[in-house]
Amino acid sequence: MEIKRKIMLKQIISIRGMGQVLTVTCGLLVLCIVFGILNPNFYSAKNITNLLRQIAPFIIVGIAQSYVLITGNIDLSIGSVLGMSCMISATLMTKGVDPWAASLITIIACIATGVINGALVSGFRLPPFIATLGTMTVARGVAQLVNNNMNTDAIGEGAQAFRDFFYYGKTLSLYNTVWVALALWLVFNFILSQTKIGRHIYAIGSNIDAAKLSGVNAAYTTTVAYVVSAFCSGIAGLITCAAGGLGTMDAGNSYEMYAVAAAVIGGISTLGGQGILLGTIVGACVWGVMQNGLQFVGAPVALRNIVIGIIVIVSVLTDVIIRSGKSKKSVARFLGVSLKNKTNQGGFGGV
Amino acid sequence: MSEYIVELENINKTFPGVKALDNVSFNLKAGEVLALLGENGAGKSTLMKVLSGVYQKDSGVIKIFGETVENLNPKKAQDLGIAIIHQELNMCAHLSVAENIFLGREIVRNGILAKQEMNEEANKILSKFSLDIDPETIVGTLAVSKQQMVEIAKALSTNAKVLIMDEPTSALTAKEIEELFKIIHRLRDEGHGIVYISHRLEELHHIVDRVTILRDGQFMKTIDFKSTDMREIISLMVGRDIKEKYPRVECKVGEKIFEVKNLNAGRMVRNISLELYAGEIVGIAGLMGAGRTETTRAIFGADPKDSGEIFLYGKKVIINSPADAIRAGIVVAPEDRKKDGLCTKLSIKSNISLPNLNKLCKLFGYVSKKYENEMTQTAVENLKIKLPNADVDAGSLSGGNQQKVVVGKWIASNSKVVIFDEPTRGIDVATKVEIYQIMNRLKQNGIGVLFVSSELPEILGISDRIIVMCDGRITGELPAEEATQDKILELATKFETKLA
Repeated sequence: MEIKRKIMLKQIISIRGMGQVLTVTCGLLVLCIVFGILNPNFYSAKNITNLLRQIAPFIIVGIAQSYVLITGNIDLSIGSVLGMSCMISATLMTKGVDPWAASLITIIACIATGVINGALVSGFRLPPFIATLGTMTVARGVAQLVNNNMNTDAIGEGAQAFRDFFYYGKTLSLYNTVWVALALWLVFNFILSQTKIGRHIYAIGSNIDAAKLSGVNAAYTTTVAYVVSAFCSGIAGLITCAAGGLGTMDAGNSYEMYAVAAAVIGGISTLGGQGILLGTIVGACVWGVMQNGLQFVGAPVALRNIVIGIIVIVSVLTDVIIRSGKSKKSVARFLGVSLKNKTNQGGFGGV
Repeated sequence: MSEYIVELENINKTFPGVKALDNVSFNLKAGEVLALLGENGAGKSTLMKVLSGVYQKDSGVIKIFGETVENLNPKKAQDLGIAIIHQELNMCAHLSVAENIFLGREIVRNGILAKQEMNEEANKILSKFSLDIDPETIVGTLAVSKQQMVEIAKALSTNAKVLIMDEPTSALTAKEIEELFKIIHRLRDEGHGIVYISHRLEELHHIVDRVTILRDGQFMKTIDFKSTDMREIISLMVGRDIKEKYPRVECKVGEKIFEVKNLNAGRMVRNISLELYAGEIVGIAGLMGAGRTETTRAIFGADPKDSGEIFLYGKKVIINSPADAIRAGIVVAPEDRKKDGLCTKLSIKSNISLPNLNKLCKLFGYVSKKYENEMTQTAVENLKIKLPNADVDAGSLSGGNQQKVVVGKWIASNSKVVIFDEPTRGIDVATKVEIYQIMNRLKQNGIGVLFVSSELPEILGISDRIIVMCDGRITGELPAEEATQDKILELATKFETKLA
């Protein structure tokens, strides 16, 4: 039994990128313990189910950003596409369109944004930062335009099933939002880790020249990543719409930042080619727990922003230092541990 | 004071796995032009980088103007009067001539850039060389030759006494070369010491006083140019024991596998036609910048073709992208493995399967782990790749094993034509031999092998037929029996006549 466990543990750790995920998971546990001590109500069933529902959108936009980051690019339009999705779907519903049809139309519009992002970055070779900064502004403009620069009215009783499906309903005592996020994660994790297109996404992020010379269609692959990103952002927008029961024009503000945070804390490299989607879940959890926990202990919003911003910078910094290659060992030595031991010490003997 | 302005004594420099400079000595007088010659990889650039402070020597003595210098760095070298004119020009194309000349040491008056003063100063420097260039011209709009002159002017404006020129004529026309030589003559007469690095041996007699020859990181000889001839220079450059290191297998030459007809792609690939038969390795020789890599890239669809046709087993194939080439069965193991060959941050397994994913896929693009492991296993065993396990980063392997992974990813896919571009660069002798054996095995299996290399001995040792390129053209073809280093070098330096 003991041996079997050891083998399993070894196999889990040997998955590429798992080391960092386990390290961050430890961090997450520490966070939970600290917040639990500061305020025992943190562990109440009510808070935990709410917390998970809060985290779900972070997981979804985290998946979005992870796909793009792994290709070596970035998507700044995530928050605006979320807002656009929220506004388009709500506007359609208030105009009497069936909620599911409205959702479908909305998602198509979001995917179109993704295609445009992909075309700008891979076809016209715009720097991804600038290209998606542009689409970010345009998408926000569209969000404002669809209902004549006003938030929508309530989406009404006809949309109750829609609201339950995305936000208020519970299945197996968890909110449906969590199940939506997990379903998306399962699908996109499978695609990223088990299929050809997933492999291509890693390859162009790792070395686009080598990938092209290996027959990878880099433009197509990049576009797929941006489409996945826009699709996920669109779903997150529907969740926001369902949660509020109306469309708000500034929905999703700063979500591109939250998405970067979830991905990077979870070990997705901003330099491309590295990281696993399991990390994004953990990253999103760290992010959500931070927000929720700081709120719970009564920290003012300004302080929360500062703490969270610093966490993102430290995560990216660690990533850049470790991943830039030369100093992996020296950083580890600086931290007083070998990287391998660190993951082993993670206290996961019982996994 | 010694008659030499630069003396390098017993310089050693080792890079991981390669002894780049082995006890090399070198000296330069004021008022002379010294040609530094040697094959690719002989250590010329390394030596000059040591002199200009880019690399630190491992051991040896550097004396400049008779004074021993330690801890040389680029800034210090510049202050001591050493300037390099690089092959690729190091200019800010969007800045003006004067701005470039004064880059990093701008004249500032009261915290404000003294533009007028810098323009006047630049004008003085330029007119000293009778260069008719307005200092306010944007550098990027000048012809390459003029840019080069500006770079020389920039170097001299820092009071450089030692001028190192790395392949300065490679981008120039005949008239421009003449102008450059005039300036070199003038600088020499004014007492500057000039190190001139060039592969174009036929240029040397216009300007050179002495010649220093390096080979494989070792100092061969310094001779007065007048007391020698090309034959001696060439034999010093290349002469070494060959053959044994190169396992050759004889094969019956079979049917024609592959043909390229009149391929054109930019200036570096002009009217290339070649044929490849089963059971032979065709070597493509040439100097650096002869257009060999460009040719392989154009064949492979990595760069666009202007014109030309490609045939595989007599059937015309259209190749517009690497994906087309791979589908047709034509693959290239590229020259720069870090840049073009490997995703160093991905696992060895992922690297080997990357071009072969189509074969490993089941429904919906699901990559079969079983097939993938089998393919990796086969490649690792066939190529004797030494690795802890196939899941480690490809970048963590040694150079030789990385190269084997590059080769492995291509031959795992049952290709019909494999093009090796400099497959042995930077790897040790034992691994080189293993790479040759892999090529031989492909040849025996009836797969067409094109072998691009800058190392003449290995081209001679392994190829059955040798095509020589120069300046984007094929300048000759030699069967292995007739080929010698001299003949190849002669063809490889057959530039279109630029000078009388």
